[in-house]
Amino acid sequence: MTATKDQLPKNAPEAVSWESELERVGFVRRIFLARRWYGADWWFVTIASVMVVAFIIVAIVPGWFAPYGPDAIVGPRFLAPGEHPAVPVLIVPADSKVNDLKDLAVPADQPRPSVAVVIGVPTGGALNEQAKAIDEQLRNEPGGLRLRPQIDRYATIDQALQAVVDGTDLAAVIQSTEWEKQGLAQKFPTLREANTITGEISTAGGFLLGTNDIGQDVLSRLLWGTRIALIVGFSSSIVALVFGVPLGLFAGFIGGPMDRLLSLIMDSLYAFPGLILAISITAVLGPSILNIIVAIAVLYVPTYYRIVRGQTLSVKEEVYVEAARSIGARSREILQRYIFPNVIPSVAIIFSVNVADAILTGAGLSFLGLGLPPTIADWGIDVARGQRFIQTGWWMITYPGLAIIAVVLAFSMMGEGLTEIFNPKLRER
Amino acid sequence: MIDNILYSIRNLTVEYTTRAGSVKAVEDVSMDIRRGEILGLVGESGCGKSTLGKALMRLHTGPARITEGELWFDGRDLMTLPLKDMPDIRGAEIGMVFQDPMTSLNPVQRILEHITETIQTHEPEISDTDARKRAEELVERLGIRRERIMDYPHQMSGGMRQRVMISLALSLRAKLVIADEPTTSLDVIVEAKFLDLLKELQKEFGLTILLITHNIGVVAEISDRIAVMYAAKLAELGDVNDVFAHPKHPYTQALMRSVPNIKLDSGELYKMAGAPPDLSHPPAGCRFHPRCPYVMDICRVEVPPLEAVEGDQLAACWLYPSVLAKSQEKMHA
Repeated sequence: MTATKDQLPKNAPEAVSWESELERVGFVRRIFLARRWYGADWWFVTIASVMVVAFIIVAIVPGWFAPYGPDAIVGPRFLAPGEHPAVPVLIVPADSKVNDLKDLAVPADQPRPSVAVVIGVPTGGALNEQAKAIDEQLRNEPGGLRLRPQIDRYATIDQALQAVVDGTDLAAVIQSTEWEKQGLAQKFPTLREANTITGEISTAGGFLLGTNDIGQDVLSRLLWGTRIALIVGFSSSIVALVFGVPLGLFAGFIGGPMDRLLSLIMDSLYAFPGLILAISITAVLGPSILNIIVAIAVLYVPTYYRIVRGQTLSVKEEVYVEAARSIGARSREILQRYIFPNVIPSVAIIFSVNVADAILTGAGLSFLGLGLPPTIADWGIDVARGQRFIQTGWWMITYPGLAIIAVVLAFSMMGEGLTEIFNPKLRER
Repeated sequence: MIDNILYSIRNLTVEYTTRAGSVKAVEDVSMDIRRGEILGLVGESGCGKSTLGKALMRLHTGPARITEGELWFDGRDLMTLPLKDMPDIRGAEIGMVFQDPMTSLNPVQRILEHITETIQTHEPEISDTDARKRAEELVERLGIRRERIMDYPHQMSGGMRQRVMISLALSLRAKLVIADEPTTSLDVIVEAKFLDLLKELQKEFGLTILLITHNIGVVAEISDRIAVMYAAKLAELGDVNDVFAHPKHPYTQALMRSVPNIKLDSGELYKMAGAPPDLSHPPAGCRFHPRCPYVMDICRVEVPPLEAVEGDQLAACWLYPSVLAKSQEKMHA
């Protein structure tokens, strides 16, 4: 008898549209199906998501990627990207077996090796110090070798190198950059560049993105700065969410004078220009990561509040909420099982866009010198610092700036793309 | 005799407070719902029938308020019950089916969760597996395949969703089901099947159903008794056959004539003159008098009470001597 009740067409052919197809499958499959419906957009989202994941990984373990610590002074100041630092390097005849300074060591009773240097360049002093250190080491080893080079000083590099060519000196010590820059290699084809006096390969010690005004590695600071940027972005958005969402739910659900009072407060906050509000809060609280997070969170609480309150107001009038009350559900259950799950998707949407915005605001505060103590590796601080040297070292301001653009773009593109994939209906509006 | 009555409404008045003043959407309505019957409540849009339906569960929020009356349900006066105890009655003893099945289910909950939630709200000691078993039996009884219980509402058709709504009311064996225009958004074929099912369930579970609708055909098809509402007040109440055969109240008469009938070949369809009154400024006396073809002097002044005019059939109209007599009796008393 009941079987006859269900004669409704079960498998009636339905027009397949991107909307209905997307709605029918789970989140993971939706992402792959979306490729069909969204075309190029899908790739934007994919690229943006990969970037976001990469940024997050770098932020978690910057030490794995960064060659140096965030504060370490590792090289000369203002070294352009890809340029090598000037280090004292040994120049020897092409057929010489000497590669390291150590190879010049001889037994104590033999004549000391003579090495050519140029007057007025710090290579002589460096050579002296390094030779002394090696000599000290050799004295403690068996074999009776000593390293006490006799240093011959010349007025120019050409004279020093000529001395090596002539055989007056066994080797010359000059700055590595000089050898590369001035075409000396072509001028003295019988000479070759050996290792540096500290035993490293002469081309070592370059910096991919150069060094800054106090000799820190720009790349390392960039990678370590990711951590601060994401901490500020995520924490402030989460704090804003944690306060904004329950307040919005509460105000929207109970309505009345509480709602009006809360909305008044939130709207007043919202009326302030964002950066100015953040500036005033950090100016009062003083620079620290915690304060910058608080300042930015205060900025974004009204965003969540307004969205959630509005959604709650509309969802609570839905028939299914009335239906829930008609089956005996109490207010707490209705909030928890009916209103909250129907409101949260719009919160997820603003969250990722919000993170991007918060990173930008955080960088802006640091740029103005209000955000973080200047010792911390932060993109905003680096941009501010690079701005002073924009003519001597363009790379100091360019790379942190590009990093800010990349992270903000990645987060907003991912956020907006995912919104379209997960809420296909929004696309029509 | 009193046991025969499941829900007794006495002088119920529901008011909406708006900035423009208060509007009585239901005014001084008294009627009894008998055990095991299907009572059809008809009336045009805005006459207060949905408000009355919701008032029976005290489901009002915001501007609406029950300002007067008693609601005797199964021997208890619901009006004296604290509002916080009402959730125990809702769902467990009185169920409700809403007009639009597309929006009356939570879009983020599976069908299963809807039903088990209802069961576990009222009987928290029932385990998840038992609740699930009960839910599955229930939807199967209503002609939905067992597997579909894990579906979300948007994956179901309108008729199926409406059956899910009924299953919520049945999951706890509610004594009274208030169906608020349950078939309005369904097409005629699905509507017919749904009405059949409703009738079947009523017999099987001994349900009492208050069927609120503006579709007289639906009432004629499945109701035992019919109540006609006009402008916040009851105009007529009686056995469905009696009322259809001999409508007493002029409004009911006009209503019956307005329904297209394929058997009668009277040419043009009857159109009632005038429009329903603005409830914020209702006319004095009988609410229907500005449109009534039999209007008398008394109609413009006195509100007619709802009294028996013939057997079990009640009407609120001065045309009938018994109504006049009853009101005179009251005046003398």
